[in-house]
Amino acid sequence: MTDGGPPGIDQPGLELVGVHAGYGDTNVLRGVDLAVARGELLVVLGRSGAGKSTLLRVVAGLEPATRGRVRITGRDVTRLRPGRRDVSMVFQSYALFPHLTVADNIGFGLTVRDVPKAEARERIRKAAEAVGCEHLLARRPGQLSGGERQRVALARALVREPDVFLLDEPLSNLDAELRVRTRTELRALHDRVGTTMLHVTHDQTEALVLGDRVAVLRDGRIEQVGTPEEIWRRPATSFVARFVGSPSMNLLPANGPLPVPGVPPSATRQVGVRPEAVRLDDPQGVMATVERVEVVGEDAYLYLRLDGHEIVARVATVGRPESGALVRVTVRPVDAHVFEAATGQRVTEP
Amino acid sequence: MRQRGGDGRGQYALMLAPYLVGLVGLVLLPAGITLALAFTDYDLIGPPVWNGLANLVELAGSDAFRTALANSLVFAVVAVPLRLVIALGLALLLHRRAPGVGTARTSAALPTAVPEVAYGLLWLWLFNPLYGPVNQVLRAGGENGLTVLGRTPPQWLTDPTDARAAIIIMSLFTVGESFIILLAARTALPPEVYELAAIEDATGWDVFRRVTLPLMAPVLGLLLLRDTVLSVQVSFVPALVVTEGGPPPYATTYLSLFVYRTGFEYLRYGYAAAATLVMLVLTGLAVLVQWRLIRRYRRWYGV
Repeated sequence: MTDGGPPGIDQPGLELVGVHAGYGDTNVLRGVDLAVARGELLVVLGRSGAGKSTLLRVVAGLEPATRGRVRITGRDVTRLRPGRRDVSMVFQSYALFPHLTVADNIGFGLTVRDVPKAEARERIRKAAEAVGCEHLLARRPGQLSGGERQRVALARALVREPDVFLLDEPLSNLDAELRVRTRTELRALHDRVGTTMLHVTHDQTEALVLGDRVAVLRDGRIEQVGTPEEIWRRPATSFVARFVGSPSMNLLPANGPLPVPGVPPSATRQVGVRPEAVRLDDPQGVMATVERVEVVGEDAYLYLRLDGHEIVARVATVGRPESGALVRVTVRPVDAHVFEAATGQRVTEP
Repeated sequence: MRQRGGDGRGQYALMLAPYLVGLVGLVLLPAGITLALAFTDYDLIGPPVWNGLANLVELAGSDAFRTALANSLVFAVVAVPLRLVIALGLALLLHRRAPGVGTARTSAALPTAVPEVAYGLLWLWLFNPLYGPVNQVLRAGGENGLTVLGRTPPQWLTDPTDARAAIIIMSLFTVGESFIILLAARTALPPEVYELAAIEDATGWDVFRRVTLPLMAPVLGLLLLRDTVLSVQVSFVPALVVTEGGPPPYATTYLSLFVYRTGFEYLRYGYAAAATLVMLVLTGLAVLVQWRLIRRYRRWYGV
């Protein structure tokens, strides 16, 4: 990455062109096009079964692409075996060797590539320092906590200084507190080493916090690629809109019960409104009944019945309406997202 | 479960009874009697006569016993590691899903399921020096009944060394149990460690040496112990059925066959019991040594 701006794709670190993958009749990836700039951290976000892990494994060469090309720093690696692609991978289960010390685990890739011992020792020490596990080098995986194992797995991936760094849900086996801390450290680590990283997760917060850009994967296709802010502000499809954000974005027919100024009523379109954009303070608003209230700390989720539709509003817990109350609902035009109902595609300007 | 004093204990005793009766009646009691008989002279007709260490002294001076002891040791030292290597090789070869692998697995396990005596009779035919398929194959391409290298094919049942080799060869095909255990152990290894090795471009040899072997070592150690104990028994039926302990004088008389002959053919039960005692002590020693080695390995690797 050069001077802080969003990385351009003119310097490709990793490219996938029309990649299909799967076994038998099942197509797990169905035409994935993705370009990751050199030094970029791109997060692939998707539900389980969307093909995230397969995408990673195709890049690593652990599964073949049935169609399409994979290029790493401009080299076509589609037909190369995993060991020739110069990638390293952090597995969800970490895949540490129980019979090797931490140092030998980190150095495994150097040992089997016949790197001289003295050089290997130095590189192992540096990699361990980079992730803060240099005090564990003499231990064995059985004596480490989950967080420590994760660091060792990261160090093992770092030590070879690969072209691309692949991370398969590396934070999912950590408890919530540790996950948040490690997330921050992972981001800092990436900024320090500057290697191209492809990180796969099902956790939207992780994706938005961690990624330079986020690619949303759905049923083996890329639904949208963009900066976390673009994904959040301008979701390309109603799927992305509802997938990112919690509670999910409300989707109503554009000719439905909640008219938005500037959005023409249409039977073929849908209006999306995030729960926090639902406003209850305008006396001109549409009448709705509060059916249920969930209090989550500072926020309260109101489940509103609106002429046969249910929508969710996120309001401050202090001063929230009671269950059963009548409220008036409005939405500002800037907060409305419009999608084609049939295709789910975003309607750019009305 | 609630404790109800004597009543509950009685129930436990009742449930344990079948096992205890079997253990005491079929194992502990005969073992105790054997131990006692080892120091007597007993021919099944007259009552046992105490003769102290005379049996052991006679064993020490007996050519037949020393030959049997040496035969058993050679068999264990050669056959046990070979059997383990073959079982491991088959397991590593056949653990993947591939066309025909089910049939291959069955074939690998099948010889173990054949009754031992039938298995022995089969090899008696296979090893026949003139008509046996083994030597027919070895003679292929050669002239005048010699092998293609111009050598006499092995005289499996009449030459002492060839006969010993024959018994070992027979034992190499009955590795079905070890094969199945190793197959299960290999299948249970996590695929990620192999994927990691692939990404690191480890060669097949490196993967075997640095990943598969250490991860399977605990199971291999266990099988080594078990096979050593079994080796005394594995050689019994082939020696009895195929070579009848010969060629003379005692080329394939193993400890187990020696004990069997001494006791049931020569009716020297006290002497046979003494030989059994020696056999048991030696097996125990071998297991102890291996167990200590395995424990050291486990402490070293912390697995």
